[in-house]
Amino acid sequence: MIRFKNVTKTYKNGTVALRDVSIEIEKQEFVFLVGASGSGKTTLIRLLLREELPDSGRIWEAGRDIVHLPKWRVPYLRRNIGCVFQDFRLLPNKTVFENVAFALEVIGRPKHVVANQVPQVLELVGLAKKRDNLPSELSGGEQQRVAVARAFVNRPLILLADEPTGNLDPSTSQGIMQLLDRINRTGTTVVVATHDEVLVNWMRRRVIELDHGSVVRDQARGVYGIEGAPAATLGPAAAVSPAATLNPAATLNPAATLNPAAAVTAAGAPSGRVPAVAGARRARGQERG
Amino acid sequence: MPVSAEYVARETASNLWRNRLMTIAAVLTVAVSLSLVGAALLLKQGATRAEAEWQRGTEVMVWMKPTASTNEIGAVGKQLGALPYVVHPCTFRNHMYDFFEAKRLVGSVWGEAGVTPKETPTSWRCTPVHPQDATAVIREFGGQPGVLVVSAPLTQIRTEQHVIEILQWVFLLVALVLLVSAAVLILNTIRMAIFARRREVSVMKLVGATNWFIRLPFMSEGLVQGLLGSGVAAAVVYGLHVILDRLGSSTSGSVLAQMRMTGWEVFVTDVIVVVIGVLIGTGGSAIAISRFLDV
Ligand SMILES: Nc1ncnc2c1ncn2[C@@H]1O[C@H](COP(=O)(O)OP(=O)(O)OP(=O)(O)O)[C@@H](O)[C@H]1O
Ligand SMILES: [Mg+2]
Repeated sequence: MIRFKNVTKTYKNGTVALRDVSIEIEKQEFVFLVGASGSGKTTLIRLLLREELPDSGRIWEAGRDIVHLPKWRVPYLRRNIGCVFQDFRLLPNKTVFENVAFALEVIGRPKHVVANQVPQVLELVGLAKKRDNLPSELSGGEQQRVAVARAFVNRPLILLADEPTGNLDPSTSQGIMQLLDRINRTGTTVVVATHDEVLVNWMRRRVIELDHGSVVRDQARGVYGIEGAPAATLGPAAAVSPAATLNPAATLNPAATLNPAAAVTAAGAPSGRVPAVAGARRARGQERG
Repeated sequence: MPVSAEYVARETASNLWRNRLMTIAAVLTVAVSLSLVGAALLLKQGATRAEAEWQRGTEVMVWMKPTASTNEIGAVGKQLGALPYVVHPCTFRNHMYDFFEAKRLVGSVWGEAGVTPKETPTSWRCTPVHPQDATAVIREFGGQPGVLVVSAPLTQIRTEQHVIEILQWVFLLVALVLLVSAAVLILNTIRMAIFARRREVSVMKLVGATNWFIRLPFMSEGLVQGLLGSGVAAAVVYGLHVILDRLGSSTSGSVLAQMRMTGWEVFVTDVIVVVIGVLIGTGGSAIAISRFLDV
Protein backbone atom coordinates (compact mmCIF):
# COMPACT_ATOMS: atom_id res chain seq x y z
CA MET A 1 0.00 0.00 0.00
CA ILE A 2 2.90 2.32 0.84
CA ARG A 3 6.45 1.83 -0.28
CA PHE A 4 9.48 4.06 0.14
CA LYS A 5 12.61 3.11 -1.71
CA ASN A 6 15.86 4.91 -0.82
CA VAL A 7 14.05 8.17 -0.25
CA THR A 8 16.08 11.23 0.67
CA LYS A 9 14.49 14.59 1.31
CA THR A 10 16.43 17.80 1.75
CA TYR A 11 14.64 21.07 2.43
CA LYS A 12 15.59 24.23 0.60
CA ASN A 13 17.59 25.49 3.55
CA GLY A 14 19.78 22.42 3.40
CA THR A 15 18.20 20.43 6.25
CA VAL A 16 18.26 16.76 5.42
CA ALA A 17 14.93 15.61 6.83
CA LEU A 18 14.96 12.05 5.49
CA ARG A 19 18.02 9.98 4.59
CA ASP A 20 17.84 6.95 2.36
CA VAL A 21 14.55 5.75 3.86
CA SER A 22 13.13 2.43 2.66
CA ILE A 23 9.85 1.27 4.13
CA GLU A 24 7.11 -1.06 3.05
CA ILE A 25 3.66 -0.93 4.56
CA GLU A 26 1.05 -3.49 3.59
CA LYS A 27 -2.64 -3.05 3.10
CA GLN A 28 -4.59 -2.92 6.38
CA GLU A 29 -1.50 -2.42 8.49
CA PHE A 30 -1.46 -0.10 11.49
CA VAL A 31 1.91 1.57 11.81
CA PHE A 32 3.36 3.93 14.39
CA LEU A 33 5.99 6.35 13.27
CA VAL A 34 8.06 7.42 16.24
CA GLY A 35 11.18 9.42 16.83
CA ALA A 36 12.44 12.50 18.53
CA SER A 37 11.37 15.96 17.47
CA GLY A 38 12.88 16.82 14.13
CA SER A 39 13.51 13.21 13.20
CA GLY A 40 11.43 13.52 10.03
CA LYS A 41 8.01 12.09 10.85
CA THR A 42 6.04 15.02 9.53
CA THR A 43 8.23 15.17 6.47
CA LEU A 44 7.41 11.55 5.73
CA ILE A 45 3.70 12.30 5.98
CA ARG A 46 4.06 15.35 3.79
CA LEU A 47 5.73 13.21 1.16
CA LEU A 48 2.80 10.79 1.34
CA LEU A 49 0.39 13.68 0.81
CA ARG A 50 2.61 14.90 -1.97
CA GLU A 51 2.94 18.25 -0.35
CA GLU A 52 6.64 17.73 -0.89
CA LEU A 53 8.72 15.79 -3.38
CA PRO A 54 11.83 13.78 -2.47
CA ASP A 55 15.25 14.64 -3.92
CA SER A 56 15.87 11.03 -4.74
CA GLY A 57 14.28 7.65 -4.29
CA ARG A 58 10.82 6.47 -5.18
CA ILE A 59 7.51 6.34 -3.39
CA TRP A 60 4.53 4.18 -4.27
CA GLU A 61 1.20 4.71 -2.63
CA ALA A 62 -2.14 3.04 -3.33
CA GLY A 63 -0.56 1.42 -6.37
CA ARG A 64 0.79 4.62 -7.83
CA ASP A 65 4.26 6.03 -8.26
CA ILE A 66 3.48 9.32 -6.54
CA VAL A 67 6.81 10.97 -7.24
CA HIS A 68 6.11 11.01 -10.94
CA LEU A 69 2.41 11.64 -10.61
CA PRO A 70 1.41 14.62 -12.76
CA LYS A 71 0.33 17.61 -10.72
CA TRP A 72 -3.27 17.55 -11.88
CA ARG A 73 -3.66 14.00 -10.54
CA VAL A 74 -2.57 14.90 -7.03
CA PRO A 75 -6.15 15.76 -5.89
CA TYR A 76 -7.29 12.32 -7.02
CA LEU A 77 -4.46 10.73 -5.07
CA ARG A 78 -5.51 12.65 -1.97
CA ARG A 79 -9.06 11.35 -2.24
CA ASN A 80 -7.61 7.97 -1.35
CA ILE A 81 -5.84 9.36 1.67
CA GLY A 82 -7.39 10.71 4.84
CA CYS A 83 -5.32 12.90 7.09
CA VAL A 84 -5.58 14.11 10.69
CA PHE A 85 -3.37 16.64 12.44
CA GLN A 86 -2.52 17.72 15.90
CA ASP A 87 -4.42 21.00 15.46
CA PHE A 88 -7.62 19.40 14.05
CA ARG A 89 -7.94 21.95 11.23
CA LEU A 90 -11.71 22.24 11.43
CA LEU A 91 -13.60 25.13 9.90
CA PRO A 92 -14.77 27.24 12.85
CA ASN A 93 -17.88 28.64 11.20
CA LYS A 94 -19.24 25.28 10.11
CA THR A 95 -21.07 22.79 12.26
CA VAL A 96 -19.80 19.27 12.91
CA PHE A 97 -22.03 17.96 10.16
CA GLU A 98 -20.99 20.69 7.72
CA ASN A 99 -17.31 20.17 8.45
CA VAL A 100 -17.56 16.52 7.55
CA ALA A 101 -19.90 17.13 4.63
CA PHE A 102 -17.49 19.74 3.25
CA ALA A 103 -14.94 17.02 2.52
CA LEU A 104 -17.46 15.27 0.28
CA GLU A 105 -18.96 18.38 -1.28
CA VAL A 106 -15.67 19.79 -2.50
CA ILE A 107 -14.83 16.61 -4.33
CA GLY A 108 -18.16 16.84 -6.09
CA ARG A 109 -20.04 14.05 -4.33
CA PRO A 110 -23.77 14.31 -4.94
CA LYS A 111 -26.11 15.45 -2.19
CA HIS A 112 -27.64 12.07 -1.46
CA VAL A 113 -24.20 10.58 -0.89
CA VAL A 114 -23.40 13.37 1.56
CA ALA A 115 -26.73 12.93 3.32
CA ASN A 116 -26.06 9.24 3.62
CA GLN A 117 -22.36 9.08 4.47
CA VAL A 118 -22.00 11.88 6.97
CA PRO A 119 -24.44 10.59 9.61
CA GLN A 120 -22.88 7.15 9.27
CA VAL A 121 -19.38 8.35 9.97
CA LEU A 122 -20.57 10.65 12.76
CA GLU A 123 -22.16 7.59 14.33
CA LEU A 124 -18.84 5.76 13.97
CA VAL A 125 -16.90 8.47 15.81
CA GLY A 126 -19.63 8.84 18.42
CA LEU A 127 -20.70 12.36 17.61
CA ALA A 128 -24.12 11.78 16.11
CA LYS A 129 -25.68 13.86 18.88
CA LYS A 130 -23.36 16.82 18.33
CA ARG A 131 -23.85 17.13 14.62
CA ASP A 132 -25.19 20.68 14.84
CA ASN A 133 -22.58 22.02 17.23
CA LEU A 134 -19.79 24.32 16.19
CA PRO A 135 -16.20 23.18 16.80
CA SER A 136 -15.86 25.86 19.50
CA GLU A 137 -18.60 24.09 21.42
CA LEU A 138 -16.68 20.80 21.51
CA SER A 139 -13.88 19.45 23.66
CA GLY A 140 -10.48 18.84 22.10
CA GLY A 141 -11.12 15.12 21.90
CA GLU A 142 -14.47 15.68 20.22
CA GLN A 143 -12.91 18.07 17.76
CA GLN A 144 -10.32 15.49 16.85
CA ARG A 145 -13.11 12.97 16.35
CA VAL A 146 -14.70 15.35 13.89
CA ALA A 147 -11.37 15.61 12.11
CA VAL A 148 -11.12 11.83 11.98
CA ALA A 149 -14.68 11.64 10.66
CA ARG A 150 -13.80 14.13 7.95
CA ALA A 151 -10.68 12.20 7.03
CA PHE A 152 -12.58 8.93 6.89
CA VAL A 153 -15.91 9.97 5.38
CA ASN A 154 -14.70 9.32 1.84
CA ARG A 155 -13.53 5.81 2.88
CA PRO A 156 -9.88 6.36 2.02
CA LEU A 157 -7.49 3.47 1.51
CA ILE A 158 -4.98 5.11 3.81
CA LEU A 159 -5.40 7.22 6.91
CA LEU A 160 -2.43 9.35 7.97
CA ALA A 161 -2.29 10.98 11.39
CA ASP A 162 0.41 13.42 12.45
CA GLU A 163 0.47 13.54 16.23
CA PRO A 164 -3.31 13.22 16.45
CA THR A 165 -3.17 13.16 20.23
CA GLY A 166 -0.56 15.86 20.67
CA ASN A 167 -3.06 18.33 22.10
CA LEU A 168 -5.13 15.85 24.10
CA ASP A 169 -4.95 14.47 27.59
CA PRO A 170 -4.05 10.80 27.97
CA SER A 171 -7.53 9.34 28.39
CA THR A 172 -8.90 11.33 25.47
CA SER A 173 -5.88 10.22 23.47
CA GLN A 174 -6.77 6.63 24.13
CA GLY A 175 -10.22 7.22 22.79
CA ILE A 176 -8.79 8.64 19.56
CA MET A 177 -6.41 5.68 19.22
CA GLN A 178 -9.32 3.32 19.70
CA LEU A 179 -11.12 5.12 16.96
CA LEU A 180 -8.13 4.85 14.62
CA ASP A 181 -7.93 1.18 15.51
CA ARG A 182 -11.58 0.71 14.65
CA ILE A 183 -11.02 2.43 11.33
CA ASN A 184 -8.03 0.20 10.72
CA ARG A 185 -10.30 -2.82 11.22
CA THR A 186 -12.48 -1.68 8.36
CA GLY A 187 -9.49 -2.38 6.11
CA THR A 188 -7.93 1.07 6.04
CA THR A 189 -4.17 1.30 6.31
CA VAL A 190 -3.32 3.60 9.21
CA VAL A 191 -0.04 5.45 9.77
CA VAL A 192 0.29 7.43 12.98
CA ALA A 193 3.23 9.71 13.71
CA THR A 194 3.45 10.21 17.44
CA HIS A 195 5.56 11.08 20.43
CA ASP A 196 3.19 9.28 22.72
CA GLU A 197 5.19 6.25 23.82
CA VAL A 198 2.51 5.16 26.25
CA LEU A 199 -0.05 4.81 23.51
CA VAL A 200 2.43 3.05 21.27
CA ASN A 201 3.18 0.57 23.99
CA TRP A 202 -0.44 0.06 24.72
CA MET A 203 -1.52 -0.53 21.12
CA ARG A 204 1.16 -3.09 20.23
CA ARG A 205 1.35 -2.37 16.56
CA ARG A 206 4.17 -2.11 14.13
CA VAL A 207 6.62 0.64 15.11
CA ILE A 208 8.99 2.44 12.74
CA GLU A 209 11.47 4.70 14.46
CA LEU A 210 13.21 7.56 12.75
CA ASP A 211 16.33 9.23 14.03
CA HIS A 212 17.75 12.24 12.23
CA GLY A 213 15.95 11.18 9.11
CA SER A 214 17.01 7.54 9.05
CA VAL A 215 14.98 4.47 9.94
CA VAL A 216 16.69 3.03 13.01
CA ARG A 217 14.08 0.50 13.99
CA ASP A 218 11.21 -1.27 12.30
CA GLN A 219 9.44 -3.62 14.64
CA ALA A 220 6.42 -5.72 13.79
CA ARG A 221 3.80 -5.98 16.55
CA GLY A 222 5.81 -3.24 18.07
CA VAL A 223 6.36 -3.31 21.72
CA TYR A 224 8.87 -1.18 23.43
CA GLY A 225 10.07 -4.42 25.02
CA ILE A 226 11.24 -7.72 23.65
CA GLU A 227 8.49 -10.08 22.57
CA GLY A 228 7.71 -11.45 25.98
CA ALA A 229 4.74 -13.53 26.95
CA PRO A 230 3.14 -10.74 29.04
CA ALA A 231 2.57 -8.77 25.91
CA ALA A 232 -0.26 -11.12 25.06
CA THR A 233 -2.38 -9.57 27.78
CA LEU A 234 -2.48 -6.37 25.74
CA GLY A 235 -3.48 -7.82 22.42
CA PRO A 236 -6.08 -6.45 20.03
CA ALA A 237 -8.67 -7.01 22.73
CA ALA A 238 -6.94 -4.39 24.80
CA ALA A 239 -7.14 -1.97 21.96
CA VAL A 240 -10.86 -2.39 21.78
CA SER A 241 -11.42 -1.82 25.44
CA PRO A 242 -8.28 -0.33 26.84
CA ALA A 243 -9.83 1.35 29.81
CA ALA A 244 -10.62 -2.04 31.26
CA THR A 245 -7.12 -3.42 30.99
CA LEU A 246 -5.23 -0.28 31.85
CA ASN A 247 -4.59 0.70 35.38
CA PRO A 248 -6.63 3.92 35.78
CA ALA A 249 -3.62 5.56 37.35
CA ALA A 250 -1.70 4.90 34.20
CA THR A 251 -3.85 7.34 32.36
CA LEU A 252 -2.88 10.09 34.70
CA ASN A 253 0.79 9.39 35.04
CA PRO A 254 1.41 6.58 32.63
CA ALA A 255 5.18 6.62 32.49
CA ALA A 256 5.54 5.91 36.16
CA THR A 257 2.79 3.41 36.77
CA LEU A 258 2.15 1.65 33.49
CA ASN A 259 1.61 -2.06 33.61
CA PRO A 260 5.19 -3.34 33.51
CA ALA A 261 4.31 -6.00 30.98
CA ALA A 262 3.57 -3.34 28.43
CA ALA A 263 6.78 -1.48 28.96
CA VAL A 264 9.63 -3.87 28.74
CA THR A 265 12.56 -2.10 27.18
CA ALA A 266 13.64 -3.48 23.85
CA ALA A 267 17.27 -3.95 23.05
CA GLY A 268 17.23 -1.26 20.37
CA ALA A 269 14.78 1.02 22.08
CA PRO A 270 15.83 4.60 22.57
CA SER A 271 16.63 5.51 26.06
CA GLY A 272 17.18 8.76 27.82
CA ARG A 273 15.15 10.81 25.41
CA VAL A 274 12.13 10.97 27.63
CA PRO A 275 13.58 10.96 31.11
CA ALA A 276 10.44 9.99 32.98
CA VAL A 277 9.80 6.98 30.80
CA ALA A 278 13.42 5.94 30.79
CA GLY A 279 13.45 6.19 34.54
CA ALA A 280 10.40 4.05 34.81
CA ARG A 281 11.95 1.53 32.49
CA ARG A 282 15.10 1.34 34.49
CA ALA A 283 13.12 0.75 37.60
CA ARG A 284 11.16 -1.97 35.92
CA GLY A 285 14.30 -3.53 34.53
CA GLN A 286 15.55 -3.93 38.05
CA GLU A 287 12.26 -5.36 39.10
CA ARG A 288 12.38 -7.98 36.36
CA GLY A 289 16.07 -8.67 36.58
CA MET B 1 -15.52 16.19 -12.47
CA PRO B 2 -18.62 18.36 -12.62
CA VAL B 3 -18.42 21.45 -10.44
CA SER B 4 -21.82 22.10 -8.99
CA ALA B 5 -23.17 25.43 -10.21
CA GLU B 6 -25.04 25.81 -6.97
CA TYR B 7 -21.81 25.46 -5.00
CA VAL B 8 -20.04 28.10 -7.09
CA ALA B 9 -23.00 30.48 -6.85
CA ARG B 10 -23.24 30.06 -3.09
CA GLU B 11 -19.53 30.55 -2.47
CA THR B 12 -19.34 33.51 -4.85
CA ALA B 13 -22.27 35.22 -3.18
CA SER B 14 -20.80 34.73 0.27
CA ASN B 15 -17.40 36.01 -0.87
CA LEU B 16 -18.95 39.10 -2.43
CA TRP B 17 -21.00 39.76 0.67
CA ARG B 18 -18.09 39.31 3.04
CA ASN B 19 -16.08 41.81 1.00
CA ARG B 20 -18.98 44.08 0.15
CA LEU B 21 -17.23 47.42 0.60
CA MET B 22 -14.34 46.39 -1.61
CA THR B 23 -16.80 44.87 -4.02
CA ILE B 24 -18.73 48.12 -4.30
CA ALA B 25 -15.52 50.07 -4.86
CA ALA B 26 -14.39 47.67 -7.55
CA VAL B 27 -17.76 47.63 -9.28
CA LEU B 28 -17.98 51.42 -9.28
CA THR B 29 -14.49 51.82 -10.67
CA VAL B 30 -15.26 49.32 -13.39
CA ALA B 31 -18.49 51.18 -14.12
CA VAL B 32 -16.86 54.60 -14.36
CA SER B 33 -13.93 53.45 -16.45
CA LEU B 34 -16.08 51.46 -18.81
CA SER B 35 -18.54 54.34 -19.15
CA LEU B 36 -15.62 56.42 -20.35
CA VAL B 37 -14.52 53.68 -22.71
CA GLY B 38 -18.07 53.47 -24.02
CA ALA B 39 -18.29 57.25 -24.42
CA ALA B 40 -15.00 57.26 -26.30
CA LEU B 41 -16.27 54.50 -28.56
CA LEU B 42 -19.49 56.41 -29.18
CA LEU B 43 -17.51 59.53 -30.06
CA LYS B 44 -15.33 57.56 -32.40
CA GLN B 45 -18.33 56.06 -34.17
CA GLY B 46 -20.09 59.39 -34.26
CA ALA B 47 -17.03 61.08 -35.67
CA THR B 48 -16.69 58.44 -38.36
CA ARG B 49 -20.31 58.89 -39.26
CA ALA B 50 -20.12 62.69 -39.30
CA GLU B 51 -16.98 62.54 -41.39
CA ALA B 52 -18.70 60.41 -44.00
CA GLU B 53 -21.53 62.87 -43.99
CA TRP B 54 -19.14 65.80 -44.45
CA GLN B 55 -17.19 64.08 -47.18
CA ARG B 56 -20.33 63.60 -49.14
CA GLY B 57 -21.14 67.25 -48.70
CA THR B 58 -17.70 68.77 -49.09
CA GLU B 59 -18.27 70.87 -52.13
CA VAL B 60 -15.74 73.46 -53.11
CA MET B 61 -17.45 76.56 -54.30
CA VAL B 62 -15.69 78.99 -56.60
CA TRP B 63 -17.75 82.15 -56.33
CA MET B 64 -17.55 84.37 -59.36
CA LYS B 65 -17.95 88.11 -59.05
CA PRO B 66 -21.48 89.09 -59.99
CA THR B 67 -19.83 91.19 -62.64
CA ALA B 68 -17.62 88.45 -64.03
CA SER B 69 -17.71 88.14 -67.76
CA THR B 70 -18.84 85.04 -69.60
CA ASN B 71 -15.27 84.57 -70.75
CA GLU B 72 -13.95 84.61 -67.23
CA ILE B 73 -16.63 82.17 -66.11
CA GLY B 74 -15.86 79.92 -69.05
CA ALA B 75 -12.10 80.01 -68.37
CA VAL B 76 -12.55 78.99 -64.74
CA GLY B 77 -14.94 76.22 -65.80
CA LYS B 78 -12.41 74.94 -68.34
CA GLN B 79 -9.62 74.91 -65.77
CA LEU B 80 -11.79 73.13 -63.25
CA GLY B 81 -12.70 70.56 -65.88
CA ALA B 82 -9.01 69.79 -66.35
CA LEU B 83 -8.31 69.17 -62.64
CA PRO B 84 -7.46 65.51 -61.96
CA TYR B 85 -8.56 65.54 -58.32
CA VAL B 86 -12.18 66.63 -58.64
CA VAL B 87 -15.20 64.64 -59.59
CA HIS B 88 -16.31 65.66 -63.06
CA PRO B 89 -18.32 67.37 -64.24
CA CYS B 90 -18.39 70.47 -62.09
CA THR B 91 -21.68 72.30 -62.10
CA PHE B 92 -22.32 75.95 -62.75
CA ARG B 93 -24.98 77.76 -60.74
CA ASN B 94 -26.42 80.93 -62.23
CA HIS B 95 -27.59 84.11 -60.51
CA MET B 96 -31.12 82.90 -59.95
CA TYR B 97 -30.09 79.57 -58.43
CA ASP B 98 -27.67 81.16 -56.01
CA PHE B 99 -30.16 83.90 -55.19
CA PHE B 100 -32.84 81.40 -54.17
CA GLU B 101 -30.35 79.17 -52.37
CA ALA B 102 -29.11 82.14 -50.38
CA LYS B 103 -32.68 83.11 -49.65
CA ARG B 104 -33.41 79.57 -48.49
CA LEU B 105 -30.33 79.44 -46.27
CA VAL B 106 -30.38 82.89 -44.72
CA GLY B 107 -34.05 83.64 -45.15
CA SER B 108 -35.78 86.44 -46.95
CA VAL B 109 -33.29 89.00 -45.55
CA TRP B 110 -31.21 88.25 -48.62
CA GLY B 111 -33.85 89.81 -50.86
CA GLU B 112 -35.05 92.36 -48.35
CA ALA B 113 -31.48 93.62 -47.87
CA GLY B 114 -31.82 94.83 -51.42
CA VAL B 115 -29.63 92.17 -52.99
CA THR B 116 -31.13 91.37 -56.33
CA PRO B 117 -30.51 88.15 -58.25
CA LYS B 118 -28.30 90.15 -60.58
CA GLU B 119 -26.07 91.13 -57.66
CA THR B 120 -25.84 87.61 -56.35
CA PRO B 121 -22.59 85.91 -57.38
CA THR B 122 -22.70 82.91 -59.65
CA SER B 123 -20.68 79.85 -58.71
CA TRP B 124 -18.86 76.78 -59.91
CA ARG B 125 -19.29 73.78 -57.61
CA CYS B 126 -16.96 70.80 -57.56
CA THR B 127 -16.58 67.83 -55.28
CA PRO B 128 -12.94 66.90 -54.68
CA VAL B 129 -12.13 63.19 -54.79
CA HIS B 130 -10.64 63.59 -51.31
CA PRO B 131 -11.94 66.33 -49.04
CA GLN B 132 -8.42 67.48 -48.28
CA ASP B 133 -7.91 68.33 -51.96
CA ALA B 134 -10.28 71.22 -51.44
CA THR B 135 -7.31 73.28 -50.24
CA ALA B 136 -5.62 72.83 -53.61
CA VAL B 137 -8.68 74.22 -55.35
CA ILE B 138 -8.71 77.15 -52.95
CA ARG B 139 -5.04 77.87 -53.66
CA GLU B 140 -5.33 77.55 -57.41
CA PHE B 141 -8.39 79.69 -57.97
CA GLY B 142 -7.98 82.21 -55.19
CA GLY B 143 -6.70 85.15 -57.29
CA GLN B 144 -8.10 84.27 -60.72
CA PRO B 145 -9.72 87.03 -62.73
CA GLY B 146 -13.43 87.19 -62.10
CA VAL B 147 -13.23 85.01 -58.98
CA LEU B 148 -14.76 86.52 -55.87
CA VAL B 149 -13.77 83.94 -53.32
CA VAL B 150 -13.24 80.18 -53.09
CA SER B 151 -14.84 78.53 -50.12
CA ALA B 152 -14.99 75.07 -48.62
CA PRO B 153 -16.46 74.12 -45.23
CA LEU B 154 -13.08 72.61 -44.57
CA THR B 155 -11.65 74.70 -41.78
CA GLN B 156 -14.74 74.12 -39.70
CA ILE B 157 -14.54 70.40 -40.34
CA ARG B 158 -10.91 70.40 -39.32
CA THR B 159 -11.52 71.98 -35.93
CA GLU B 160 -14.49 69.81 -35.19
CA GLN B 161 -12.61 66.70 -36.16
CA HIS B 162 -9.71 67.82 -34.10
CA VAL B 163 -11.77 68.46 -30.99
CA ILE B 164 -13.50 65.13 -31.29
CA GLU B 165 -10.19 63.36 -31.79
CA ILE B 166 -8.63 64.97 -28.73
CA LEU B 167 -11.71 64.27 -26.66
CA GLN B 168 -11.59 60.68 -27.78
CA TRP B 169 -7.96 60.26 -26.74
CA VAL B 170 -8.49 61.96 -23.41
CA PHE B 171 -11.43 59.67 -22.70
CA LEU B 172 -9.46 56.61 -23.71
CA LEU B 173 -6.45 57.61 -21.64
CA VAL B 174 -8.48 58.33 -18.52
CA ALA B 175 -10.44 55.15 -19.14
CA LEU B 176 -7.23 53.16 -19.44
CA VAL B 177 -5.93 54.46 -16.13
CA LEU B 178 -9.27 53.72 -14.50
CA LEU B 179 -9.42 50.29 -16.08
CA VAL B 180 -6.04 49.44 -14.62
CA SER B 181 -7.15 50.62 -11.20
CA ALA B 182 -10.38 48.65 -11.59
CA ALA B 183 -8.38 45.53 -12.35
CA VAL B 184 -6.16 46.18 -9.33
CA LEU B 185 -9.21 46.68 -7.13
CA ILE B 186 -10.73 43.43 -8.32
CA LEU B 187 -7.39 41.72 -7.81
CA ASN B 188 -7.35 43.03 -4.28
CA THR B 189 -10.86 41.89 -3.43
CA ILE B 190 -10.04 38.42 -4.69
CA ARG B 191 -6.85 38.44 -2.69
CA MET B 192 -8.83 39.31 0.42
CA ALA B 193 -11.34 36.60 -0.36
CA ILE B 194 -8.53 34.08 -0.73
CA PHE B 195 -7.07 35.22 2.55
CA ALA B 196 -10.42 35.02 4.32
CA ARG B 197 -10.89 31.51 3.02
CA ARG B 198 -7.39 30.14 3.49
CA ARG B 199 -8.57 27.53 6.01
CA GLU B 200 -11.23 26.27 3.66
CA VAL B 201 -8.73 26.21 0.84
CA SER B 202 -6.22 24.20 2.84
CA VAL B 203 -8.90 21.69 3.82
CA MET B 204 -10.08 21.49 0.23
CA LYS B 205 -6.57 20.73 -0.93
CA LEU B 206 -6.20 18.14 1.78
CA VAL B 207 -9.32 16.22 0.91
CA GLY B 208 -8.58 16.27 -2.80
CA ALA B 209 -10.63 19.07 -4.33
CA THR B 210 -9.36 19.77 -7.84
CA ASN B 211 -7.60 23.01 -8.61
CA TRP B 212 -10.51 24.15 -10.73
CA PHE B 213 -12.96 23.48 -7.97
CA ILE B 214 -10.91 25.61 -5.61
CA ARG B 215 -10.38 28.39 -8.14
CA LEU B 216 -13.82 28.65 -9.64
CA PRO B 217 -15.58 30.58 -6.85
CA PHE B 218 -12.78 33.17 -6.91
CA MET B 219 -12.83 33.39 -10.69
CA SER B 220 -16.57 33.87 -10.70
CA GLU B 221 -16.28 36.51 -8.00
CA GLY B 222 -14.08 38.58 -10.31
CA LEU B 223 -16.36 37.82 -13.21
CA VAL B 224 -19.43 39.02 -11.31
CA GLN B 225 -17.69 42.25 -10.34
CA GLY B 226 -16.69 42.84 -13.96
CA LEU B 227 -20.21 42.06 -15.15
CA LEU B 228 -21.91 44.30 -12.59
CA GLY B 229 -19.57 47.18 -13.37
CA SER B 230 -19.89 46.81 -17.12
CA GLY B 231 -23.66 46.43 -16.81
CA VAL B 232 -23.85 49.82 -15.15
CA ALA B 233 -21.49 51.24 -17.77
CA ALA B 234 -23.61 49.79 -20.59
CA ALA B 235 -26.66 51.50 -19.12
CA VAL B 236 -24.74 54.79 -18.89
CA VAL B 237 -23.64 54.47 -22.52
CA TYR B 238 -27.19 53.82 -23.59
CA GLY B 239 -28.41 56.80 -21.59
CA LEU B 240 -25.74 58.98 -23.17
CA HIS B 241 -26.86 57.84 -26.58
CA VAL B 242 -30.47 58.68 -25.83
CA ILE B 243 -29.56 62.16 -24.60
CA LEU B 244 -27.26 62.92 -27.56
CA ASP B 245 -29.87 61.59 -29.93
CA ARG B 246 -32.52 63.90 -28.49
CA LEU B 247 -30.18 66.88 -28.76
CA GLY B 248 -29.26 65.83 -32.28
CA SER B 249 -32.83 65.55 -33.46
CA SER B 250 -33.78 68.93 -32.05
CA THR B 251 -30.85 70.73 -33.69
CA SER B 252 -30.80 69.54 -37.28
CA GLY B 253 -27.71 70.46 -39.22
CA SER B 254 -25.51 70.52 -36.11
CA VAL B 255 -22.56 68.24 -35.49
CA LEU B 256 -24.67 66.24 -33.05
CA ALA B 257 -27.24 65.65 -35.73
CA GLN B 258 -24.58 64.42 -38.09
CA MET B 259 -23.22 62.14 -35.38
CA ARG B 260 -26.55 60.44 -34.70
CA MET B 261 -26.18 56.70 -34.48
CA THR B 262 -28.38 53.71 -34.99
CA GLY B 263 -29.45 51.51 -32.10
CA TRP B 264 -27.33 48.75 -33.56
CA GLU B 265 -24.15 50.79 -33.20
CA VAL B 266 -24.97 51.53 -29.58
CA PHE B 267 -25.69 47.86 -28.98
CA VAL B 268 -22.29 46.92 -30.40
CA THR B 269 -20.66 49.53 -28.15
CA ASP B 270 -22.43 48.06 -25.13
CA VAL B 271 -21.32 44.56 -26.10
CA ILE B 272 -17.72 45.77 -26.32
CA VAL B 273 -18.06 47.44 -22.91
CA VAL B 274 -19.39 44.25 -21.33
CA VAL B 275 -16.69 42.13 -22.95
CA ILE B 276 -13.99 44.44 -21.59
CA GLY B 277 -15.65 44.27 -18.15
CA VAL B 278 -15.63 40.48 -18.23
CA LEU B 279 -11.99 40.45 -19.34
CA ILE B 280 -10.98 42.81 -16.55
CA GLY B 281 -12.89 40.83 -13.94
CA THR B 282 -11.52 37.45 -14.93
CA GLY B 283 -8.08 38.90 -15.65
CA GLY B 284 -7.84 40.54 -12.23
CA SER B 285 -8.99 37.44 -10.43
CA ALA B 286 -6.76 35.18 -12.53
CA ILE B 287 -3.72 37.21 -11.48
CA ALA B 288 -4.81 37.17 -7.83
CA ILE B 289 -5.35 33.42 -7.99
CA SER B 290 -2.03 32.68 -9.58
CA ARG B 291 -0.21 34.91 -7.13
CA PHE B 292 -2.00 34.26 -3.87
CA LEU B 293 -3.80 30.95 -4.16
CA ASP B 294 -1.24 28.22 -3.79
CA VAL B 295 -2.89 25.22 -5.41
N1 LIG C 1 9.60 23.51 5.55
C1 LIG C 1 10.79 23.21 6.09
N2 LIG C 1 11.87 23.87 5.67
C2 LIG C 1 13.08 23.59 6.17
N3 LIG C 1 13.32 22.65 7.07
C3 LIG C 1 12.29 21.95 7.54
C4 LIG C 1 10.96 22.20 7.07
N4 LIG C 1 10.13 21.36 7.70
C5 LIG C 1 10.89 20.63 8.52
N5 LIG C 1 12.18 20.97 8.44
C6 LIG C 1 13.32 20.36 9.15
O1 LIG C 1 13.35 19.01 8.78
C7 LIG C 1 13.62 18.20 9.89
C8 LIG C 1 12.52 17.18 10.08
O2 LIG C 1 11.34 17.87 10.42
P1 LIG C 1 9.97 17.15 10.69
O3 LIG C 1 8.94 18.20 10.84
O4 LIG C 1 9.75 16.14 9.64
O5 LIG C 1 10.22 16.44 12.07
P2 LIG C 1 9.19 15.69 13.03
O6 LIG C 1 9.73 14.34 13.26
O7 LIG C 1 7.83 15.78 12.51
O8 LIG C 1 9.32 16.57 14.33
P3 LIG C 1 8.22 16.81 15.46
O9 LIG C 1 8.12 15.55 16.24
O10 LIG C 1 8.77 17.93 16.28
O11 LIG C 1 6.95 17.17 14.78
C9 LIG C 1 13.80 19.13 11.07
O12 LIG C 1 15.17 19.34 11.24
C10 LIG C 1 13.12 20.39 10.64
O13 LIG C 1 13.75 21.48 11.20
MG1 LIG D 1 6.04 16.73 13.15
